[in-house]
Amino acid sequence: MQWLDAVIQGVLLGGMYAQYALGMALMFGVMRIVNIAHGDVMILLSLIAVSLAGVLPFGNLGLIVVIVPIAVVIGWILQKFILNKVVGADPLPSLIATFGLSIALQNFMLEIWSADTRSLPNSDIASASFQIGSIYVGLLPVIVLITALVLTGGLDAVLRFSRFGRGLRAAAADTEAAAMTGVDPKRIYAIATAIAVGILGLAAVFAALRATVSPSDGSAQLIYAFEAVIIGGMGSVWGAFLGAMVLGVAQAIGLRIDPGLGILFGHLVFLAVLATRPEGIMARKK
Amino acid sequence: MSDTPILSTHGLTGGYGDFQALFGIDMHIDAGEVVALIGANGAGKSTLLKSIFGLLPVGRDMVKFEGNSVGGTPAHMMVRRGIAMVPEGRRLFVGMTVEENLRIAIDNARLPEGEGPWTREHLFDLFPILREKRRQPIEDLSGGQQQMVAISRALLCQPKVLLCDEISLGLAPKVIREIYEILPEISAFGTAIVLVEQDVGLAREASNRLYCMLEGRITLTGISNDIPRDAIAAAYFGASHAVA
Amino acid sequence: MTSKTHHTEVVRATRSSRIAMTLCLALLLALIAMPWWASSGNIRWAIELSCYIAIAQMWNLLAGYAGLVSVGQQAFIGVSGYLLFVLAQNFGVNPFVAVLLSLIAPAILAVPTYLLLRRLDGPYFAIGTWVVAEAVRLATSNIDYVNAGAGLTLRVMTQYSQHEREVGFVLLCALLLLTTIGGSYWLLRSRIGLALTAMRDNPVAAASQGVNVGRLRFYIFIAAAVGTGFAGAIYYMAQLRITPSAGFDPFWGSMSIFIVMVGGIGAIEGVLIGALIYFLADRLFGEFGSAYLIVLGLLTLVIALYARGGVWGLMQKWGDHAWFPVRRKLIVEDTP
Repeated sequence: MQWLDAVIQGVLLGGMYAQYALGMALMFGVMRIVNIAHGDVMILLSLIAVSLAGVLPFGNLGLIVVIVPIAVVIGWILQKFILNKVVGADPLPSLIATFGLSIALQNFMLEIWSADTRSLPNSDIASASFQIGSIYVGLLPVIVLITALVLTGGLDAVLRFSRFGRGLRAAAADTEAAAMTGVDPKRIYAIATAIAVGILGLAAVFAALRATVSPSDGSAQLIYAFEAVIIGGMGSVWGAFLGAMVLGVAQAIGLRIDPGLGILFGHLVFLAVLATRPEGIMARKK
Repeated sequence: MSDTPILSTHGLTGGYGDFQALFGIDMHIDAGEVVALIGANGAGKSTLLKSIFGLLPVGRDMVKFEGNSVGGTPAHMMVRRGIAMVPEGRRLFVGMTVEENLRIAIDNARLPEGEGPWTREHLFDLFPILREKRRQPIEDLSGGQQQMVAISRALLCQPKVLLCDEISLGLAPKVIREIYEILPEISAFGTAIVLVEQDVGLAREASNRLYCMLEGRITLTGISNDIPRDAIAAAYFGASHAVA
Repeated sequence: MTSKTHHTEVVRATRSSRIAMTLCLALLLALIAMPWWASSGNIRWAIELSCYIAIAQMWNLLAGYAGLVSVGQQAFIGVSGYLLFVLAQNFGVNPFVAVLLSLIAPAILAVPTYLLLRRLDGPYFAIGTWVVAEAVRLATSNIDYVNAGAGLTLRVMTQYSQHEREVGFVLLCALLLLTTIGGSYWLLRSRIGLALTAMRDNPVAAASQGVNVGRLRFYIFIAAAVGTGFAGAIYYMAQLRITPSAGFDPFWGSMSIFIVMVGGIGAIEGVLIGALIYFLADRLFGEFGSAYLIVLGLLTLVIALYARGGVWGLMQKWGDHAWFPVRRKLIVEDTP
């Protein structure tokens, strides 16, 4: 029974990781860029949410309505002033630029919010839970998981059927050929980053509701997002979702074995997937 | 002026980074005309097309389209203005179906499908095999079929000028003939075609006029059927070879 | 052709390189002589600076030549540090010998790391190295034999007098610099160096010229791991203490990136300049903590965006005065 409980808790945790991973999969898919400050941007949004919650009596839903547009603006700034300048075949400039940004952002947050852990004030949703058999399930993690499902399905549909989605897939396949067919790559990049960081805004509010955040937590979130994307298989949003589930379950099971092993188990599963199925568990066999 | 060419270049110079490949190219094409661009490997034909199309940096006044200076306009804006390109090697979007490849062009075309001269239905009539394979991933098609998709994709941009870069490369003679047979149909709509072609015989047959390039310069131009073969040979390989 | 004959000669040494070489040897001798002329504080600084230079040069070899961007080099620092502590403390091996023996650990770790991660695309490779470092850190934190999260202390060092220790350390540092800086210089001047430079400029073209890019990257990755581990072992031996959170601190990665990018990637000169700048900045502004790190981060960002060659790249614009010339210059003279 306790293993079933671990799997359920793991899947719920995976819902959170899926929200981190979707944006990363999207940005890497089209620009071949990994934003090392991905997790730090999420933490920044969480801390902004915590600070705003103290000033504005919005309620949690209202907070999401405020934070997501802020996230989209941050994404636009990131794209316009940094990422557009480092898109290219050489991975070094984008890595170094976003790495520098990550260091600066982490320490900027330390200056403003200090190293304390913070979270959004306890609400009914955050503490509510229900019971299935002998297993307790929190209401908030279920909402997070359902949100992740809806986001993944929505993003997948956008990529498949919308004009933007087709343009993005074309640019991802061959940027120059896409431009020759009338697709403006910079516009596609800008929208992709805005969506990616916008999703992070949603994740940021959930993260601050679910647990605590502190300025140095960003690196861990970056690594979880990355592991989910690789486990699932690059270039597929459902892959990222499934990878997040696997990562969450691995961590939950590790945690059940020994409290010190949770995160390590996640890393080990990632390395095992890399060793046995480097194309990811979702990838079609070639 | 009614006799303004639809597309022209004026002393166009350019190349890749520090490497200059084009030295003052003057050429022009009128609506409905087919112009062939011939020359040996490395003569600068593809570089010229890319420079015209905004894929390589050139000065603003070096390219004129419908009388406006458009040099250096990004490729996706050129498509909006009415230029499209069939790139060398086809460059189709792998992982997407035939239909999706065509939809990209329709999404970003100068005119909506139905308002311009080209529709998918019309193209499927020209290339019936594509109608059959419209839902298949592009990588399942043969080389000739892929070239048909590449041409259809460019035409669905509803261009006034179509740039074709080596569309016969690597295809069987029968397929080449099939593809070249539709060129007159295209120009019948008033679309001008610039044809980069290695095969001189094919180029002469399919074009009204031709330009021959050598080492980044135009060495010969004239009405395709009027130019004698040995003049083309001299222009193609360079006078020094002919003399020596 | 022509009736003239050509006298051709391939030249690499320049006046600036001869001056630099003499200076380097003098500095190396001064380093070795430090226990007889410098204070203990200064010797500690010299050890630290040597480690920074070595670690940064190893990162430079990876990112600047092999095209392998790693943000997880701390894995190799930690494992060699830990093996040193275990060998010296638990097995009674002479610590100065144990430093050299401990290099087996990064070499062994580097092999599976590379074989697993080479499957990942450029940017993903980088984060993959970070995951490996984190996994090794977490594993170390869970092994009771090495005292889990509390770490180890090198008590055996008390058997040596202060002077003996200092002599040992400066000799190790000299060896470290000779192998990492000197070794890189030798490597870059060799046939492999030509292949590496070709690979940096264009991996596809290099492969078509018969350079086995994959194998060369593999060797460079292992060599860089060993060099980084060497510096790590010396550093933590001088600290007398190692913990998982210090030995596997991602800050080691940040430091190398900062030094190499600010100094100038793809040049040994850049590493020396960057290490000096970082060392001085750390002494002068380190007390400002996070404000100082914000500046370091932004500086790295700006360099990646606008001045990819770093300080050395800017200096090169004033004229070619390489300290460590690895390029060959062909001199052709017409002789009548």
